[in-house]
Amino acid sequence: MHLARRSFLKVMPVAGLLAACGGKASKIRLALNWKPDPEFGGFYAADFAKHGLDVEILPGGAGTPTVQMIGAGSAEFGIVAADEVLMAREKGNDVVAIFAVFQNNPMGIMAHASRKLKSIEDVLKSGTLAIQSGLPYAKLLKKKFGFDHVKVVPSTGGDLTAFLGDENFAQQCFLMDEPLHAKRKGVEVTVFPVSDIGYNPYTTVLAVSGSMLSKSPDMAKNMVNAVREGWRTYQDNPAATNERMHTLNPTIELANYGETAAAQRGLIESNPLGKMTKERWDTLAAQLKDLGDITQAPPADQCFRDL
Amino acid sequence: MNIRKAIPAAIPFVVVTLSLEWLVRAGWIKAFLVPPPSAVFQTMWRDWPELFAALAKTSTGAILGFVLSAIAGIAFAIFLSSSRAIQEAFYPYAVFFQTVPIIAIAPLLVIWFGYGMRTVVAAAFIVSIFPVIANTLDGILSTDPALRDLFRLYGASPATTLWKLRVPAALPQILTGLRIAGGLAVIGAIVGEFIGGQGLGSVIDIARTQQRTDKVFAAVLLASVLGLVLFGLINILSRLVLRNWHVSEQN
Amino acid sequence: MTEASIGADRGVALRLANVRRTFKELVVIDDLTLDVAAGEFLAILGPSGCGKSTLLRVIARLNLPDHGTLDVVPSNTKFQTAYVFQEAHLLPWLTVLENAALPLELTGVSQPERLKRASRVLAEVGLSEAESRYPSQLSGGMRMRVSLARALVTEPRLLLLDEPLAALDEITRFRLDVRLRDLWIERGMTVVFVTHSITEAAFLANRAVVLTRRGCRIKLDRSLALPTVRDNELRVSAAFADEMKRLLGAMEEEG
Repeated sequence: MHLARRSFLKVMPVAGLLAACGGKASKIRLALNWKPDPEFGGFYAADFAKHGLDVEILPGGAGTPTVQMIGAGSAEFGIVAADEVLMAREKGNDVVAIFAVFQNNPMGIMAHASRKLKSIEDVLKSGTLAIQSGLPYAKLLKKKFGFDHVKVVPSTGGDLTAFLGDENFAQQCFLMDEPLHAKRKGVEVTVFPVSDIGYNPYTTVLAVSGSMLSKSPDMAKNMVNAVREGWRTYQDNPAATNERMHTLNPTIELANYGETAAAQRGLIESNPLGKMTKERWDTLAAQLKDLGDITQAPPADQCFRDL
Repeated sequence: MNIRKAIPAAIPFVVVTLSLEWLVRAGWIKAFLVPPPSAVFQTMWRDWPELFAALAKTSTGAILGFVLSAIAGIAFAIFLSSSRAIQEAFYPYAVFFQTVPIIAIAPLLVIWFGYGMRTVVAAAFIVSIFPVIANTLDGILSTDPALRDLFRLYGASPATTLWKLRVPAALPQILTGLRIAGGLAVIGAIVGEFIGGQGLGSVIDIARTQQRTDKVFAAVLLASVLGLVLFGLINILSRLVLRNWHVSEQN
Repeated sequence: MTEASIGADRGVALRLANVRRTFKELVVIDDLTLDVAAGEFLAILGPSGCGKSTLLRVIARLNLPDHGTLDVVPSNTKFQTAYVFQEAHLLPWLTVLENAALPLELTGVSQPERLKRASRVLAEVGLSEAESRYPSQLSGGMRMRVSLARALVTEPRLLLLDEPLAALDEITRFRLDVRLRDLWIERGMTVVFVTHSITEAAFLANRAVVLTRRGCRIKLDRSLALPTVRDNELRVSAAFADEMKRLLGAMEEEG
């Protein structure tokens, strides 16, 4: 009894080290910030085993705090937005971006086509607008154009009931998602990308904690390689992965998976996939500082790593 | 007298707050996961105008929703008490209010009531009405059988028995139901505000997207205070209404 | 004043004929025939669970017999029955005065009139000083007296009591026993009470009926050879001991 306990205690720290080194059979958790859908296609298409990784993808939903999960250690990797990385870092949460799925921000404002609006500014001239008003792009909109003539209400979280029922209702959307959905319900829409006003952070960004990055740089590199391959596969041939995601999230029709995958392709394509630049990060940091979301603009090389 | 009674309850709060402050400062708990209480209080001080305005809105929504569910809940329970057949036919619908996930129907509430106070009041009402119905009905149906016999002996009509015996006798239970409903009304109001905008719910929702956990906690703290105040008010009401019912604390 | 003349005009006569009442499988009252004269003070004695409370409820018409008849003579007076329960069962949100006035409220008497009458009957049970108090402020004995006052406020011709003094302490009980007898002499109503206490039956009643353990069949039906006016001294008299022995004998007998 006595002996067994002593040898057990000796084994424990060794097992811990092995786990930290990303050695065999330690499960790696990748936390998504929404339910499985085409924006995560490349992650589901990736062959992690080929790169020596045992990855478990954790689907998310409304409000999944992926950036905090990375900081707390409840997931090794997480999907976040670039602006979230900057805000988290300022709060002492050492997260680092290593792969950006969307080179261009897929967020937009959609309105009924019948209103014949010409720009985002027009949307703010009348009617109702449903957005997450705490997000940086929303604050930028308010700063640039003001919300004096539009009624701002909370984002519907993807629910289109209000939009479909009211011609003067406009809302936040992902370019490849809600607009297609509205069209299927018989409503033609005009979509204004948020990037039109100059706000274009990387989106659906794979991030990891700084400590894990320094402790297991090889694991992180393998992860990026696996993900890059996965996205290549998904860009070229999404059908098989779509079927797999459909079983995980049947709330979206299989055919719609295909349509969305096609719609998003252009926003993702890049050479190499997932690459990020210092300039883009610096621009984003300056914008966030200007909006008051961060007090200091950190050096870009602290926020992202090219692996 | 009241201050002294509050001291034992305040002690755990003070202990937890101080421990938390120390744990975060010492690095045992990461500040971006749980903000140190000092940051929460600082935020409350700094953002007081905004938080107070939000608190006022949420209070209005919660109180209105609560008053409506008190009136409708008691009335519905009295209606249910009239016959077994009516209970069997309609009680299940009351249970619906208990079980419906408010988050799921909140978009519908917005369609029907629009953005703003009406949706908030509706959400507070829906979430808080069931305990009022259940407790009131239970109170009315569990009247002392001997007293019911007494009324029957003197030929009292069912209506007389209801208003002169069963409803007054149910007051302790009605007040229990109201006590529970108060806190729920606050929760309902905040959920309504997530969807319908304004108030503490909106503050929480927006602060969340900005990773301002200190502000989230500040708003949650204020919501708790609101719940406590409502609870306290109902306790005062209870003591007033039932002051002759119980053996007074005499030496 | 003889016992027979008390209440001949202010009480009612009861006639139970072949009364039978069952509860699920159990025969609680099995073919009972009993005549009660107007103005009689009848004790129904029996062990716990023998069905005597059910019998009292049948007499009160709170429950109906499955077979047999119950006749009340004369039958024309409304609300002539009063019932005193084992516990006082007062309404906690009403004052003592309002509680005593309750039966009059339920039968449509105006407020000033009913409060006046309640005040009078409360004086008879010695509770004038407690009129504006609430039940929670009273002792058990006082609450029982309010219950008794409440029963008497309609000047009932039939007063039914279900082991009403069982929950009280002995001294209070002795005091209330004397009071109850005096009230009966003053008012002359028919009193039927149910008890498992032989002492109480012997002290209060002028006639005692002893029931069997099951089925409410009559084992003994006896007119007690005791004086009309009674005080607690009676409890230590030879005549009292004699009646007690008789009743005890009947109670202990098998069946």
